[in-house]
Amino acid sequence: MRIVRPFRALLWCAGLAFAASLLSLPSAAQSPHPDFSGIWFPAGQRPAPSPPLTEAAKKLRDVYEAQFTLDDDPGRFCIWPGMPRAPWGAPFPIEIIHRPQDVTIYWEGYGMYRKIYMAEHAPPMPPIPSAMGYSVAHWEGDTLVVETTNLKPYPYMTRLATTSDAHVVERLSLVEREVDGELRKYLVDEIVLTDPKMYTEPVRMRAEAVYSPDMQMLEYTCTDTLWDEYLQERGLTLPDVDALPDPTED
Amino acid sequence: MRKPIFALAGVLLAPLAAAHHSFAIYDMETEIEFVGVVDTVKFRNPHMSMTLRETKDGEERIIDFVEGAPANMLVRMGLDPKSLEPGQRLTAIGSPRRDDPDAFFLKAVILEDGTRFDMLRPGQTR
Repeated sequence: MRIVRPFRALLWCAGLAFAASLLSLPSAAQSPHPDFSGIWFPAGQRPAPSPPLTEAAKKLRDVYEAQFTLDDDPGRFCIWPGMPRAPWGAPFPIEIIHRPQDVTIYWEGYGMYRKIYMAEHAPPMPPIPSAMGYSVAHWEGDTLVVETTNLKPYPYMTRLATTSDAHVVERLSLVEREVDGELRKYLVDEIVLTDPKMYTEPVRMRAEAVYSPDMQMLEYTCTDTLWDEYLQERGLTLPDVDALPDPTED
Repeated sequence: MRKPIFALAGVLLAPLAAAHHSFAIYDMETEIEFVGVVDTVKFRNPHMSMTLRETKDGEERIIDFVEGAPANMLVRMGLDPKSLEPGQRLTAIGSPRRDDPDAFFLKAVILEDGTRFDMLRPGQTR
């Protein structure tokens, strides 16, 4: 018995280790491909130079411009820019969690959230059309190629408007660049938007974000002002809960 | 060493900050300086707002800064709700709306100790 017990213990340990290896979630760091995980900060964007609208879209833009003023800005009402406008335009950090099966991107600005599924990991079917759309990716060497469809229409004709037929292809890669004597890591996103109802040719953009591990992500609640305006219209005042007496004070 | 890099990102971002929200409704070339006491301040996203009680030539009036930088950007600059609160005396620089000269975009704040915060320069953040 004295000989068997250590052997059993060894078997238990081996079994536990095996179970743990099955249960543990692999990270992208264990993958042979680049790992985009971390906190990034927008570091410049090359905007599309006046994308060529179709004739029908030009008419739509003229009607839009006649009706909408600069105050009618969707951003003021917390409407997500969505794809392909989101990367990496607003001056707020972006957190990426990269796993072999998917890439999750959280933009502090507007609290935008995006999921990119890896094609080889049986991505789920797309749900309803959304601002970020449905993104599926595969690797081409060290470049992650992402295709996005299922986008909600973005009908703001003085911005980069898109229809439900919009199709976005991105090529994401890492580059290192020396800035002020320090080697910095950049995430480069080469974006091609194809939307034949809206544009006569593909629209090309490029966005960069610099790796910024020391930055802290903050909460970005965007709708407080809209709620205030509603309360004002209704003539309601919220109770001042902070004015409640503190029972720990005499 | 991170700070200058971040500052560089901020410089590159200047047009981006403007791009996510059009400032064309304001006459950004015009800058008017007001000295007064903070009446109300709302640290909000997508934009903060503030009113300032200014006394000039014996007359008191409320200056309405209907819009400024997003709260999160202010906090990263080092301007948090504890350093900008009602009752505080400061200098505020505003650009008027083109269609309403009594409504301003808050471009900069100068605290009593002389510290200046420019709202459209995220690279200034500490």
